[in-house]
Amino acid sequence: MWRVFGLMQSVVEFDNVGLRYGTGAETLTDLSFTLYPGSFYFLTGASGAGKTSLLKLLYLAHRPSRGAIRMFGHDAITLPRDRLPGFRRRIGVVFQDFRLVPHLSTFDNIALPLRIAGIQEKDLKSPVTEMLDWIGLTERADARPATLSGGEQQRVAIARAVIGRPEMLVADEPTGNVDPEMARRLLQLFAALNKLGTTVVVATHDIHLLQEIQGAQMMRLDKGRLSDPTGSLRHPPRPLVLKN
Amino acid sequence: MLLDFALPAHDRKLIPEGRLSGPMPWVIAIMLFLTILIAAMGLSLAYAIRDGGNDLAQQATVQIIEPDPIERATQKVAVSRLLREIPQIDSVNSVPDGEVRNLLKPWLGNDVIDADIPVPALIDIRFKNAPDGATVRALKLRLEEAAPKIRIDSHSSWMAPFFDLMSSLILLTLAIFMLLLVATSAVVILAVRSTLNTHRSTIEIMHMMGGTDLQAARLFQRRVALDALLGGVVGFGAAAAVILTLGGRIAAVEPALLADATLPWYGWLILAIIPLAVMCLAMLMARWTVVSALKKML
Repeated sequence: MWRVFGLMQSVVEFDNVGLRYGTGAETLTDLSFTLYPGSFYFLTGASGAGKTSLLKLLYLAHRPSRGAIRMFGHDAITLPRDRLPGFRRRIGVVFQDFRLVPHLSTFDNIALPLRIAGIQEKDLKSPVTEMLDWIGLTERADARPATLSGGEQQRVAIARAVIGRPEMLVADEPTGNVDPEMARRLLQLFAALNKLGTTVVVATHDIHLLQEIQGAQMMRLDKGRLSDPTGSLRHPPRPLVLKN
Repeated sequence: MLLDFALPAHDRKLIPEGRLSGPMPWVIAIMLFLTILIAAMGLSLAYAIRDGGNDLAQQATVQIIEPDPIERATQKVAVSRLLREIPQIDSVNSVPDGEVRNLLKPWLGNDVIDADIPVPALIDIRFKNAPDGATVRALKLRLEEAAPKIRIDSHSSWMAPFFDLMSSLILLTLAIFMLLLVATSAVVILAVRSTLNTHRSTIEIMHMMGGTDLQAARLFQRRVALDALLGGVVGFGAAAAVILTLGGRIAAVEPALLADATLPWYGWLILAIIPLAVMCLAMLMARWTVVSALKKML
């Protein structure tokens, strides 16, 4: 049932997955695909196509109504609730609405995943400062989210998602509120992470972004169904093989 | 761990803590004020029963009901001598006739008492140990040899209904004490649920980043513990002031039985433990409430 591409274990495998909220119609229908380590995926589709719902399944915010999901080599459907935190720490998420903690400073928001993971204070100052520098918000380290512009908040949200060097990064419209130059820089950050082995899934309306990442694969959602215009999901190119 | 509320400063920021800014510390202060007062009342009654009861159970009054005053005086001396020879009796106090008449004056009036009416001779005795019925009956038989018309009133027998009432009051204070603890727990649960709703988005973000239920619960435990501690200090202080004020007035009251209804030092120790116990209870309730609520989230 589960496919293995060569000797490489997949990061995520969806098999005939459906998602229904309450008693309504299915938001996602018959999704079957595999995401490999070190691959870069763009998830496109019109508004309401189900991109955010699919991302929620990917970052374990929801369980599907039917089908099977395998994540990091484990069955994510039957995964006990107390093991979810361990899996979530392996996934970085950029939410569409940023979801920054309003009473925390920029520094503390970015440091949050490291603190949750139990990293000591002395060990987190350097990476957080580096990340602040990278997103150009060193001067705003003490600012609260309410005092930041939409673009600045988005950069903080991205920094928070990537600072823990996740095995998979899931980003929902991560460049929606930033200027083209910053969008390019953020995508470069994603690409750099990708080169380090992180599987990246970026949901976006902006098809121009697709040209920014060479070798990125496209997943297109249409009314909750996945189409595969490049055929890469059915016949994925050989993924990046990582060396330790 | 239940008591690991010494969180790092950055973790404390996740759920903002406003000292005495919300109603929670004040509600806990009021609940603890009432809890400590009712506990003090129960403890005082219990000590009064224990100390006063033991004291009274050892005492008895011997009455010599002899109408002839000369014969009565003779019998009183003989009975007193007999009583002093009995090893189970610790002390014998022959009550002077004048004192007995003074005791009766409020009921019978000066004129009647001053007239030559027969008044029983009284001898107060204290046993070394509280006597049972058989001991009292055996003593009566022995004393009847010296004074045929004799009566022995054990103090514990006529005080029994009073002690029954006191015991019932202790049970009542215990019930109220338990109810107040339940009400305090309910207040904590409601406050934690309210705070949890206010900070639900923060908790969800923590969850999505791999935070565990216990990490979230610790944030609430600490907040609730501090609120309960502050409320406890205020409640205990107010209750202690009331107890000390009332204690001074009770000590000045006759009969001496009421004066026994004051707290010894270990009673104060028990009262001081109550705020700490309530703080631990509040932390447990907070942990249970948060973990139960979060289990409904994925």
